[in-house]
This record gives sequence, structure tokens and C-alpha cells, in this order.
Amino acid sequence: MSDITTNGTGSTPKFDDRLDTETRISNLEVAGILDRCLRLLGAVPKLFCSKLVLSALAIIPGLYYQWIPKIVIDNVILQKAVEETETPFPPHMAPLVNVITGLSPMETLAVITAVLLVLLFVVGRGGTYAYFSQGEDSATQSENQMNQGGSETSGIIGLADSFVQIRLSQQLTNHLRTTLFQRMARLPMTTLDDHRIGDAVYRVMYDAPMVPGMCYKVTLEPIFMIIGAMISLYLMHYSYGDVAPELVWVAAMMIPCALLVTVPFSALARRVQQDSRAAGAATTNAIEESLGNISAVQSLGGMGREKDRIDKHSNESFRRYRHIKIVNILLEFATLFLLVGMAFWVTIFATDLIIAGDMSPGDFGVLFGIATSLGGTAVGLGRFWIELQGNAAAVRRVFFFIDLPSEEHGASLPKVGPLSDSVKIEDVDFTYPDGRVALRNINLSLKPGELVAIVGPTGAGKTSLAYLVPAYLTPSRGRVLFDGKDTREINLDSLRDQVSYVFQEHLLMSESIRANLLLVNLQASDAEIHDALTTAGAMDFVNALPDGVDTILGRSGDTLSVGQKQRLCIARGLIRDTSVLILDEPTAALDPQTENALVNALRQAAKGKLVIVIAHRLSTIRQADRIVFLEDGEITDIGNHHDLMSDPDGRYRRFVELQAGNVG
Amino acid sequence: MSEISRQPSSYSYRLHKTSDEESLTPKAFVRLFLRTWPYLKPQWKHLLVWSSARFLIEIIWVFAALVAFDLFNNKVLVGEKLESSQVTLLFLDDSYRSYVPDQTNETVEQEQGEAPMLTRVQRAEVRDRLLILFGIAGVFIFMLSPAIDYYRTWILQRVNQFLRVTMVERAEHLSLRYHSNARTGDAIYRLYQDSAMITSVIERILLEPLVAIGQVFFSFFVLCLFSPVLGLMFIGGIIPMVWLIVWYTPRLQIRSRRARTTNSDLTSRIQEGFAAIRIIKANRADPILRQRFNQDSRTALDAAFYLRVESILMRMLLMLLVGLMMIATQYLTAGWTMAEDPTFLAGSVALVGFTIWNFGAFQAVQSRTSEFLLNGMDLVRIWTVLQDMSVGLDRSFFLLDLEPDVVDDEDAVPIPEPILKITYTDVTFGYDPDRPILKGINLAADVGTITAIVGTTGSGKSTLMSLLLRLYDPDSGSIAINGIDLTHLQIDSLRAGVAIALQQNTLFATSVADNIAYATADVDRAAIEAAARVACADEFIRTMAQGYDTELGERGGKLSTGQRQRLSIARAVVRDTPILILDEPTASLDAETEHRVLANLAEWGRQRIVFVITHRLSTIRNADQIAFLEDGEIVELGNHETLMAISDGRYRRFVSAEVEVTSASESVQ
Repeated sequence: MSDITTNGTGSTPKFDDRLDTETRISNLEVAGILDRCLRLLGAVPKLFCSKLVLSALAIIPGLYYQWIPKIVIDNVILQKAVEETETPFPPHMAPLVNVITGLSPMETLAVITAVLLVLLFVVGRGGTYAYFSQGEDSATQSENQMNQGGSETSGIIGLADSFVQIRLSQQLTNHLRTTLFQRMARLPMTTLDDHRIGDAVYRVMYDAPMVPGMCYKVTLEPIFMIIGAMISLYLMHYSYGDVAPELVWVAAMMIPCALLVTVPFSALARRVQQDSRAAGAATTNAIEESLGNISAVQSLGGMGREKDRIDKHSNESFRRYRHIKIVNILLEFATLFLLVGMAFWVTIFATDLIIAGDMSPGDFGVLFGIATSLGGTAVGLGRFWIELQGNAAAVRRVFFFIDLPSEEHGASLPKVGPLSDSVKIEDVDFTYPDGRVALRNINLSLKPGELVAIVGPTGAGKTSLAYLVPAYLTPSRGRVLFDGKDTREINLDSLRDQVSYVFQEHLLMSESIRANLLLVNLQASDAEIHDALTTAGAMDFVNALPDGVDTILGRSGDTLSVGQKQRLCIARGLIRDTSVLILDEPTAALDPQTENALVNALRQAAKGKLVIVIAHRLSTIRQADRIVFLEDGEITDIGNHHDLMSDPDGRYRRFVELQAGNVG
Repeated sequence: MSEISRQPSSYSYRLHKTSDEESLTPKAFVRLFLRTWPYLKPQWKHLLVWSSARFLIEIIWVFAALVAFDLFNNKVLVGEKLESSQVTLLFLDDSYRSYVPDQTNETVEQEQGEAPMLTRVQRAEVRDRLLILFGIAGVFIFMLSPAIDYYRTWILQRVNQFLRVTMVERAEHLSLRYHSNARTGDAIYRLYQDSAMITSVIERILLEPLVAIGQVFFSFFVLCLFSPVLGLMFIGGIIPMVWLIVWYTPRLQIRSRRARTTNSDLTSRIQEGFAAIRIIKANRADPILRQRFNQDSRTALDAAFYLRVESILMRMLLMLLVGLMMIATQYLTAGWTMAEDPTFLAGSVALVGFTIWNFGAFQAVQSRTSEFLLNGMDLVRIWTVLQDMSVGLDRSFFLLDLEPDVVDDEDAVPIPEPILKITYTDVTFGYDPDRPILKGINLAADVGTITAIVGTTGSGKSTLMSLLLRLYDPDSGSIAINGIDLTHLQIDSLRAGVAIALQQNTLFATSVADNIAYATADVDRAAIEAAARVACADEFIRTMAQGYDTELGERGGKLSTGQRQRLSIARAVVRDTPILILDEPTASLDAETEHRVLANLAEWGRQRIVFVITHRLSTIRNADQIAFLEDGEIVELGNHETLMAISDGRYRRFVSAEVEVTSASESVQ
């Protein structure tokens, strides 16, 4: 439904994002993201060090496997004596060489076979990896990213190396996505309105798994790349001395050249990654919205329309993924050009020497091999910065929400206990971020033991007023005092521990009724659950369910009627047993008898508590100790039913008469 | 080893099969892959072109390597003269040719004596030309490979898109009976992760195994020609390998299914958590939710870990066997070589190339052995990946295999026009057939009438209306329009004829205008505004920042319930259908607004059949008939006066409960 536009300025929202609209970042900011990713490693020091050690160990077998075939060929098959070998063995081969010196070829073969068997168990042959099939878009590749792990070797070391790395990848992801989840749950109410659910799913499930890659790309990968290059250099130096120092210089020059070629791509690489992910998130939004509201979609006959919408979004996300491919191809061209150029140069350089008779033909392979491996390392270093951009773009999307101003919970601020004195609202105005004025000049004092009804036409600001108490909204002007303390200067968690808020919408998790109630109060006993359900008038129908309180509810409680869900939500509000209870139109879907019973039960249960009810029903309102009548964000009348009705021109009286008139 | 494993988690390495974690039978496994064909088929031409192009590049590579190997090693590096074909290929003159006609023979001999060699200049020339040739082939391949890779992505995305959309379509049409027990996160997971497995089918079951199998058989054949002892040893080694694979296959499938199930649960956890985020905040449940999330996250990660453990362990054990065979081969052949034994098929030099075991034979057997074994390992890798894919495909097809309960009859007809009468006859229904919600409902409504449906919470009022939309079909009894049973009507046509304002006020995160026009195609702004005026929504929409183009928040956030309710009503009104259902349309409206909305609706609904579910007396009293529902039965039916006349009637009691309140408020005056 939201139009997919291709105009690419960072400030106009593309895709579905309403919060995360400024998605461009500079190279400097990437460095900042990198820094934060590296700090994450601090959470998993043991695993990271183990990985480092095991990876280093994994290099060693390669050194032996290179030389063993030489011994087999020269000293076994061709039956040369070890002492007669022309090229000297490198120092690390000395122990083995000492053992086989003076042995017959057959004995040498036996020794070598024994060594190979030991090596096989310790380091195996070849690498280890666990890589499963993935799809052709960013989201479906997260699984492999999150569980990436492997080793250059196998055997016992390879096994440990891979397992450690998988766990390391998983821990990094888990750490980041749990933090993200927590922060998103703490966004202010006004921000949450603009936060898409599918987007949250995408960021937690598919963006966060890009963090291990980010960590490896600046730590393990370059380290082992450089170690590899150094080994190549060492071997070249060992065997060829200073025959071709130019080769080393050329290989070294490749690094800046590669960076020069690749770095200009970095902004583009980030952009296509970001777009692919944003398009994926938009697809997730479409699926989530469509299937999450399936009963509405089917009732309204919107199935075809929803299918088309998801089709369009999914297509777009695939298309955006292909843009990543194109950038990668361009990059490949650029770096391959360098690499091929170098290979040609090495070929010409080496063959010139060989033709001139300065080197033997056999040397070409060795030189060429070493040179390409050096060049490959250089180009790899050049490309890894670009690959990093893909991870950076994804991780930025995670950090965006972690950094978004969330409610200051003020851990250091003083805590409040149960309401003992009063909630005072003093000279409060509230204006929404988009400029809508919701409340004007509100003055109100609420005491424990009171049942206060907030009444008024729709859109008068009733909910906004109630939101002030648990500080879901902070006043634009004036202040809210909880037992004399400004709500901005107390620990928010402790404040909210004192307030239960029952919403107009009735959302339940697809878990058991018990789990739904325990969600808000883990300590609730069976008796408390029973009491809450009874007070909310839900016990009867809950008992009629096949498994009673352990009945698993369908999605969002779909198999219950709206009125039943509403009563479960009220029970959930009651079970926390807080000193302030706010019910926001709790009874709209209840029939009058049920409602009367409920309000009576509430009055009984809520003795000594402050109960605020937003309601339209006269039957509810009349039972209130005080009625706050709100119109256009201003309080026009306060008092009990009797007092307010005695004002012949009162707004409240007019309101009641209309209601009564309807009935009468 | 790690924090994760220290946490109490529901999955440990030990594998306990539970009933829903059965592995696939071999037949089901094969059938799954065959079932992917309809989704691949529309792209078969592309797939063919792509496979051929890939193959072409392989051939060019092999050919280039073949040409270059001899030219470079023996000619450039050593200086031998070229073959005729090589001379032609490089556009060189005859002086490079090893066998030259008599007339030029002298010049060559002048320089090189009896063994004709290339001069240094010539060697450099050959090298240059070779490099140019290689450069051309290289450019061609470097241009083509990325293009082919891009092409591959494009094709496979189309395959995946087709499967995704088919799945979405099925999910959208599955009855609410299915959806009420399914989770949205699960659908997201199936649509993304599970369906993506189809993109690998062609490569994993056709291209890769074909190459590997070919290599394995060829190498094995050649090795047997060298020595049947080796062949027997390999066969002996393969038996435990096959046994290992057979043993691991169901384990891999079960692990994969767990990984997928737990990840899909995690997706649902996030989706539900954020759908209910306000509840979570209001109840300070975020620490509990975070804890549950963390637990689900760890469970999912553990499941993914153990799937990989299983795969790595299997690989490692196989690698051990392979390694042992390689070492054994080396030991045996090295011994034979030193003894210079004859090879098995020494006579057939053409096939083996070596009559006795010598250095060359040793090298050849070494490379063949590793080719044989490594390709074998590659097959194992493919097999492992296939197990995971099969589970993913199984989960995708699961969704497609679900038949919507409610489907069009074969000879379904469109909704009749004009609609005159709706009749419910002995309708019984329950979401769970053992617990009927509606019992023996009989009800008729004529055009131009308003039927109020009244009753206590949970008495089945909304369910009664959802049957009219065929969101569910009755367990027994029938519903008919103009005497035609609903099951004989086309569902789309039926739903197009019924507008409903839902009790849940579901709004979407798009503009106000889009929300009103949600269920109606091709509706202009004037109609949208007119509908908004009927619903008394126009007034508040105009005060919004961008009026009708204002974007709403997630699930319609930023609006009060009363405002959402009015948009919901406008959405029903704009559809201009002959049947209108209002489910508690005014519960959240203040009396004044309610009054105006109802007056507008009464005017608007004159030539239609209107059902109103409500508790409000003012609405009920104006209805032409009132159906009073209790425990899924219509206990009283008639207009206000008739029902009030029943002394001790249920309706009468209901009204007096309401009036009590009112009279109490009147007494104050």
C-alpha cells in the first residue's frame, strides 16, 4: 500500500520506514560502528581467545602437509638419502628429518605413515564447515551468518575450532539482539506508534546476525590473512633469497592499489545493502500486517489485495538484493583487473629471467604461486573494507534502535512505593510531536481509595490524561507529582510498578491463560490468579474451557469472543495488585449486566487503591466518587454525579441527558 | 563451554524424538524434491540457458588450461619447438614449427644444431602471444561469469517469488479456524527461510551431484585398472561410510526441523511481543518478556548449533575414514613403486598409461585417489545440505497442502441481485466441534430491515455474523441468500456483497484514505469523503495534519478508539453493498456522536439488509427485529414492543437493567 519509490535521497522515507529515515552514514561513522562491534567481543572474552588460539594452531598442520609429500617422493619413491636432498628443510621439519635420517626407504615410509595417522586424528585433512543452503535475498542469509563457524583444519583441533566459532557467532548475535529487543520494548509510546512490527522482526532476526561477521572481519580475518602473507614471504625468502625483491614490492603495492580501487565503492555498497534490508523489512511488514490481521482481511475481502501487496514488496526486496549483486560484480571486476594485471606482470617478469637462464623452469610455479597468494591477500584486504560495509549497514540498523532516545529509566533516581498520598497534575499541557494539542491547562488531584471516572467526547484527550499518571507521556508544560515527587525525577520502573493500565485493545499472547497472567506478575499464586479471574468476571467461561486456566489461546486469543478477551485483560490488570489501576474503556464490549457486576467487583477489590476509569457508560460513571469531564483537552467539570447534574448548564449534564435521551 | 550451554535450555545434545519430529521416509524425501518442479518449470528455459552457459565456461577453462599447459611449460619455459596446431593457434610463422618442410630446415639447424629449439626472442614471442590469447579468453570469462551469476540470482529469485506468492495466497485463503491456531511469526518464517530452500534445488540435486558422481565413478574405474586391491579396499571403506550416512540422515532431519521450529517460535515471540507492546509496557512486563525472548533465542541458537554439530561430527567421522584410506593407498602404492611391480592392466597401456609401478604411476594414483575421495566427500556435503533443504521444503509445502475449509463449490454462482432475504436455518457451529457456540439458529432478515443482535458477552453474536461472511461454514444447518445456500455462492462475490464494520477496528499503517478504501477497488476521493461523513469521521480527519493523506501508526496507532471505530464504519459504508454488518459499532463513541452516526446509518441503510450487534438500547429500539441470543441460542425474536410484552422475558430483563441506571440518573434531576 505504501508506495515504493526509487528516488534515493536519504531524507525522504523510502520503503516503510518512518523512524529510521536518515540511513546514510559516512566512513567515519562506519568506523564508529566498528568500534562498538569490537566492544561486543568484551562480552565473550574466553570464546574469542579460544578461537584465536585454535585458529593459530590450525595453521601448523599446513606447514607439515606441504613437506611430507616431498619426503615421500624424494626419500621413499626416488630412494634418495635424506642428507643428499638439495633444498634444505625448514627448521620446523628438523625433528622429523632427524628421525628419518639414515633410515631405509621402507622404514621412512612406515615413519611417515605413522606421522600421517597422528596428524589425521589431531588435525585431519582439509577444512571444517557447516554451511547450509540459503536463499537469494538478505533475510534468508542470516541463518548462515548467525551460526557461522568453521576451521581451516579438521580432526580434534578442527572440531573444537568450529564449535567455538559457532558458539562465538551465536553469542555475539544473541547479545546484540537481546539488547535490541530490550531497547525497542522501552521506546516511548509516541515512538511506538510509528514502529512497524514486521520491521522489528526483521531487525532482530535478520539484521542482528550480521554482527559476528563484522567482528571477524576486523580481527580474525586480517590477522590470519597477514600471517598467511608472512608465511608466503618467508618461504619465498627462504628458497629464493633476493632473486626477485621486486615481487615483494609489487605485492606490497597491491594493498594501497586495491584500497584505492575499492574504497570509492564503500558508500554505494552501504546504500544497496541498506536498501535491500529496508525492502526486506517492508516485505516483512506486509506479511505481518496481512496475516496478523487475517480475520479483518478475510472479513473485508482483502485477500487478493494483500497477496498483490506482498507480491510487490517481495519482488522489490529481491530486486534490491540484485543491486547488491551488481555492486559486488563491479567490485570483482575492479579487483580482478588488479590481480590479473599482477599475474601477467609476474609471468613476464619470471619468464624473462627463465629465458635469460637466470632461473630454472621449475622455479616459475613456485614464484607464481607465492606471488598470487601475496596479491590475493592484498586484494582481500582491499575488499574486506567493502564487505564490511554490508555488515555495517545491517548493524547500523540495529544500533539505530539501540540509540533511539528511549525512556530514561533513571536507575539512580529515587524510587517510589505504593501511592499513599496523592497523584497531582499541575498546570499540564501536552502537545504530540506532530503538533496536535491533546491537553491544556490540566489541574487535578487524585487520592488513593478513590474511583475516578474520566468522561468526555471521543478525541477529548481522556487517554492522554490517563497516560500522564504512569508517565507514558511527559507533560510539555507543568508537572505530574506522584506522592509529591515529580514523575520526571523518579525511577520510572518503580513508578510503573505502582500502576496497572488496562487498554482499550485486548491483546493476548498465544500462550495459556495462566502464562498470559503470569506475564505481568511472575510471582502470582494460583489463588491470586483465581481471584483476579473471578473479579474480572472471567472465571465462569475459563472454567468452561477444555483445560481451564491452562487452555492455550489461539493467536491474539482468536477463539474467544471480544468480551471474554476484555475480561481476561482486566484480570491481567488486576493480578499485579498495584496501588493505582487505570481502566481505559474496559467495558465497551460487555453487556450491561456483566459490566455492572464487574464494576461492583472492582470497587470491592480496589479498596484503598486509586482506580481511574475511562468510560462512556452511565452505569459505570455513576459509581465513580468523582467524575472528570474533559472536552477538547480541557477539564470543564469535576465532581460527583450528583453535583455535576445539579449544574443546569454543565457539559456533563448535557452529556448525560443525551445518553438518557437515547434510552428514554 | 559457553554461556549458552550453561543456561537451562530445552535442547541438549541428546536426541529425543518427539511425535511431531519424525524424519522423512525416503519416498517422502524424493517426492518433496519432485514437487518443486511446478515452481521451477516456468523458468525452465532460463534454467537451461544458465546451466549451458555455466557448462560453456567450464569447457573454456579446461580447454584453455590444456592449451596453455604444454605451450607454457614445454615451449616458453624449456624452449621446445611448437606443434603445427599450436603454430596456427598463435598465428606464428613456420620457423616455430618442430617439424618443418625441407627448404627452411637449414636455417633452424644453423642456430640450434641437431635438437631444434626456439630462440630467446621466439620464446618471448610465444609467451606474449600466449598471454594475449589468454587475456582474450580471460576477459571473455570474466565478463561472462558475473553476468551468469547475476542471471542465476535473477532466475532463482523468480522461482522463490513464485513459491512465496503461492504460499501467501494459500495463507490468505485458509480459514480462520487454521489461523486461530497458527502464529504469524511461523508464517513469516515459512515464507522466508523455508521457501528459500527451493532456490538451491537445481544446483544441489542436479548440477553438483552429476559432476561429483561422474568424477567418483571415473576415478574409481581407473584406480581399479591400476590395482584391484585398491578397488576392494575402497569398497570395504565405503560400507561403513554409507552406514554412517544412513545413521545420520534422520538425525540431521530432526535437528534441522528443530532448528526451523525453534527459529519460527522466536519469530513469533518477537511479532507477538511487538504487537502487544503497549500491554507489555503498561504492565512493566518488559523484563519478563525479555527473559522469555532470551530463552527462546537461546533455544533457537542451541537447536541451530546442534544441527551443525551433527553435520560436523558426521563429516569428521567420514573424513577420518577417508584419511585412513588415503594413507593406506599411499603406503601400498609407495611399496609397489619401490618394488617396481607391474600394474594390474599393464597390457592395456592406453587405459592406464603405465605398465609398471613407477614415479609417474605413483603420482597418477595419488591424484586419482584424492579426486575419488574428495568428490565422495563433496557428495556427502551435498547430501547433508539436502536433508536441511528437504525439511525446509516440507515446511513450505505443509502450508500449501492445507486445504481451506471454505472453498468455492464447483458450480458456484455469483451473489444474486437484488438481495431480498437472508435466512439461517437450524445453524449449529463451534470452533471446536465439541463445544458448539451456536445451536440451532433460525433467523430471517428482509431487505430494508435492521436486525439487532443482542445478548450477553460470549453468547455467539459475532460468530453468527462471521458465518454469513463464510469465514467459517456451519457444522450443520444452512444459511441462504434469496433461498440460495451460501455454499453455492462464490466466496469472493459473497464477501463483495457484504460490508462489515468490525468490533476490533483493525486499521492498517497506511493513509486514512487507504484505510477507508481498503476493501473497495477503484473508489474515488469523493466517495471516501462521503462515507467518512456518514460515519461522522470527516470532522476529525480534516483536523489531522495531512487530512485524508495522513499516515496512521502501526495497527492504526495515534487515533483514539472512538476515531478508529468511525473509520471502521466508514470503511464498511464506502463499499456500498446490499448487506451491512455493524459489530458493536458505537461502543466507544460518546452519546452525541453515536446518535449522529446512527441517524446517518439509518438513512443510508434504507434499501439494504442491516445487522447490528449492540448493547445500546437506543440502537436496539430502532431495529425492525431483535434477536436475543443466550448461550448460542436465539431465545427471543421480535421487535421491541413484542419482546417487552413478554413478562419475565429475557429481553425485558435486559432492558430494565439498562433503564434502572437511566432512571437513577433521571431521579437526580
